[in-house]
Amino acid sequence: MTSTSFGATFTSDWMRRFAASVTATEDELTRLDQQVGDGDFGVNLSVGVQAALRRLPDKPGPQDEAAAPLEAAASAFLDEIGGTSGPLFGLLLQSLATAAAEAGPALTTPALAAGAASGLAAIQRVGEAAVGDRTLVDALAPVADALRTVPAATPPDRALLTAADAAWQGARDTVRIKARLGRSSYLGDRATGIPDPGAVGVSLLFASGVTVVPTLAPHLQEAGH
Amino acid sequence: MGPYFADDAASLVSDALVGVARAHADLLTLQAEHGYLRARHPAPARRVAVVSGGGAGHEPLHTGFVGTGMLDAACPGRVFASPHNRQIYEASLAVAGSAGVLHVVKNYTGDRINFGIAAERLAHRGVPCARVLVDDDLATESADIAAGRRGTGGTVLIEKILGAAADTGMGLDELAALGTTLTASCRTLAVASAAHTAPTTGAPAFAVPEGAVEYGVGIHGERADHAIQVAGIGSLVEQMTHELLYALAPPAGAQMIVLVNGLGAVTQLELYGIFDALARHLEARGCEVARNLVGNYVTALDMRGFSLTLLVVDDPQTLRYYDAPVRTAVLHW
Repeated sequence: MTSTSFGATFTSDWMRRFAASVTATEDELTRLDQQVGDGDFGVNLSVGVQAALRRLPDKPGPQDEAAAPLEAAASAFLDEIGGTSGPLFGLLLQSLATAAAEAGPALTTPALAAGAASGLAAIQRVGEAAVGDRTLVDALAPVADALRTVPAATPPDRALLTAADAAWQGARDTVRIKARLGRSSYLGDRATGIPDPGAVGVSLLFASGVTVVPTLAPHLQEAGH
Repeated sequence: MGPYFADDAASLVSDALVGVARAHADLLTLQAEHGYLRARHPAPARRVAVVSGGGAGHEPLHTGFVGTGMLDAACPGRVFASPHNRQIYEASLAVAGSAGVLHVVKNYTGDRINFGIAAERLAHRGVPCARVLVDDDLATESADIAAGRRGTGGTVLIEKILGAAADTGMGLDELAALGTTLTASCRTLAVASAAHTAPTTGAPAFAVPEGAVEYGVGIHGERADHAIQVAGIGSLVEQMTHELLYALAPPAGAQMIVLVNGLGAVTQLELYGIFDALARHLEARGCEVARNLVGNYVTALDMRGFSLTLLVVDDPQTLRYYDAPVRTAVLHW
């Protein structure tokens, strides 16, 4: 497999699959957020992916740089979503775009690892959230950890599978956490039992690297793989 | 028409922005697409742009302080709601100086996050950015409040002084450090005898018992954690002054810049009486009122309340910055 297989066509398809996953699961995301947040997360994420679709290059060629579609999605999330969790996804996408641009025209596994790590750092700086605070950090930190240990020569689609597994596990683990930050922090024990919607959104992003996610339920049930 | 002289809660802010730009066209311009006001004539020596913003409803903060010698841009959100990161990012990019942008941020979670996202985006674009977090509200000083003290009235004094320092060509890190030092020497306490009118319902946001004040209100219509009965204005001001001095622990003979600030529905007549009481209590405790501002500077829509801000002058240069020329809609000397 040549490196150009992971150019702009791949990242553009990734963002389109992410949009399809969010659209397919929007109602499930809304129901989760109605139980632990203010209920607008599904809609916000949906607004973000629709804006991203409008900004994605029409037909990227195989030689186009992998960073461009990620950058387009990042600015859509940063500019066009209200509230705070949507723009935080924009920061993650922006970090992935920066790392991809630094790596060269094609996406690489080390670039994914670097982008996830710097995205995590940016989100933590801005949101002042630590692991265990029941936020999207609880899915993204395991992703960064998992990608760090994937061999550099691994094709990025394989690395994204590993990242998705780590994210889903992190999202499932949030059901046991009592919130300290964000809207769910007002609910105390009532939020336990329900996964954090932001962490689920991170899982959707990485899982969409390989496939469209039609429904959340199978991924949120314990046991996993 | 709603409870305010505007067609609805949303147009209250957007109409005012256009009006501010029209009224002060010599000082500032409105960037309508991204929703920020920008100074027309920043000092030529300024290398770091000073940008602030926050929820609307606190006018004249921040729009009234855009101009020469103070803010290069202000980003208003909706009433009592943080501006969007895009407004802050676009404003900062547009006004950034050769040495970057300083964000002056009142300590509220939404403002912290949105200014923080904008700062990350600026870093991504290679624009140096630093933040001064203003957290002067004494009423929210408690180990139980994880979010920390709120940012309130002291913001005006800090923006004035930082603006003058920026006009000397001061660098980004030095400005941020100065802002942190000023904030550490500045505390505010606010009381209200009646809540603001909620723009959506037209009803008072909360009820205050007869003859009492909410002691320690916020500027977003947050009620205080307790109300106290008021025996007289002198004793109320004395209690507030005592608590501010206890928190600041100024050295004997300390000079102070004081702000007596109306929260929206208090008359200038009342504010000057309050200022006199404050000055007498400060002098009785050996403090010198070196400079003063008395008026409506940081409001909470039409809340009937006032705040007292003391900024202890640790360095004579602070007064020189305060006295330096400024030309904005509200402060001009």
